[in-house]
Amino acid sequence: MSLLELRHVCKRRSCGGRKVVVLDDATLRIDAGELVAVWGLRGSGRTTLLRLAAGIDAPDSGTVLFAGRDLLKHGEEILGREIGYCQKSFRAGAGRAAIDEVIVGLLVKGAAPAEARARAREALERVGGERVGARRISELDSGERVRLAIAHALSLQPRLLVIDEPVAGVDLRERDEVLLLLRSLADEGVAILMTVGDLTGLSGADQSLTIGDGELCGSPRRGLEPVADLSLRRQASG
Amino acid sequence: MGGVNRERHVAPMQSSVNWALLGLIIERPSYAYALAQRFERTYGDALSLSSVSHAYAALGTLKDRGLIEELPGTRTGRQPKPHYRATARGLEDYHAWLIGQVAEERKRQKVFLLQLTALTRDPEQAMKIVEDYEQACLGETCTTLIATGDEDAPDGALALQARLIAEEKRLAVGAKIAWARYARSELKALANGRAGGLAGERAPNQ
Repeated sequence: MSLLELRHVCKRRSCGGRKVVVLDDATLRIDAGELVAVWGLRGSGRTTLLRLAAGIDAPDSGTVLFAGRDLLKHGEEILGREIGYCQKSFRAGAGRAAIDEVIVGLLVKGAAPAEARARAREALERVGGERVGARRISELDSGERVRLAIAHALSLQPRLLVIDEPVAGVDLRERDEVLLLLRSLADEGVAILMTVGDLTGLSGADQSLTIGDGELCGSPRRGLEPVADLSLRRQASG
Repeated sequence: MGGVNRERHVAPMQSSVNWALLGLIIERPSYAYALAQRFERTYGDALSLSSVSHAYAALGTLKDRGLIEELPGTRTGRQPKPHYRATARGLEDYHAWLIGQVAEERKRQKVFLLQLTALTRDPEQAMKIVEDYEQACLGETCTTLIATGDEDAPDGALALQARLIAEEKRLAVGAKIAWARYARSELKALANGRAGGLAGERAPNQ
């Protein structure tokens, strides 16, 4: 059983008064420890895919399963615990110390203050953001904000990390460091589903996918199953 | 001497092995056996020498063409190991050959794309091929590992080389994926247009 599974998922959205197909009969499987990267143009449905995978949005038809459980029924108990959805915007707390953002997230989930502080520090260390913690969020650059967002999600010890464009707006060196960080998290067993707006961000993924015109097209899953069983292709909707 | 060689060899040197060997000599002057070993380490399965004697033959060609010369004083001892270095012309020709590869690469890519898109008249079939091409390119991204290494370390040049090669591959494969996505979208529109046209033609009969 895969950790996350999208089965024949369809999703439409309104765009200028007409319905646009974002996903049509999309199928995707992600196992623990897999890094899956999805590239698509702006408006192709990248973020919609992530929101469906995290259980934030419901599909029009089809099923999204997390460890065999339907996210439509169990989404509230899974999101924020077993699924970490990285938010890169910290509007409410832009003026406070970065570590507080992580601590507050843990307190909301019921952690004791001392435990929350310890776990927040640990998460920041894990993402290489030790020096980020004491600084104000408004002072952080793009790369540091990404690290903080990952630390925030990671502090809740999720089994699946969902992150929208982690390398958008970061310089090339930082891009590779963020990708290596995500790769290392996957190697430790956390499944990761991320979108990229730049095709170079697909490097090193276990599955690389493209999204557009309502369809997902993907690489074979590296070293897991034979190519023939893994096609994510589907017939283009006419 | 160099001028004589240049006149004698009017045909451009085609062998990739010879050019690669010249590149290694430009990087660091050395002798045949060591060059053959560096060749294997550097080019791996991308380019191969059939044997060490292949390296000797290639060095002979490079020397005849005036692209390399023996370092004075290295042909000594019971087992002389003459070291070779690049001549000024060797450097100049190597530079020109590298730049010439841009056009060669483009030609190869054009032939490939002509073959890949040969089925455009049958958009459904063409879409399938382009889709498989896109999948293959996506598979390539999975094998493109992110290069790491300390570029301030003694072997920092190698770390930089690895990073430059990886980045070029990422960009090149990325461009192919973006193209495949575009081509599929265009082929789909063509297929849909034809289907619409057929439906329109059928309409009066219905």
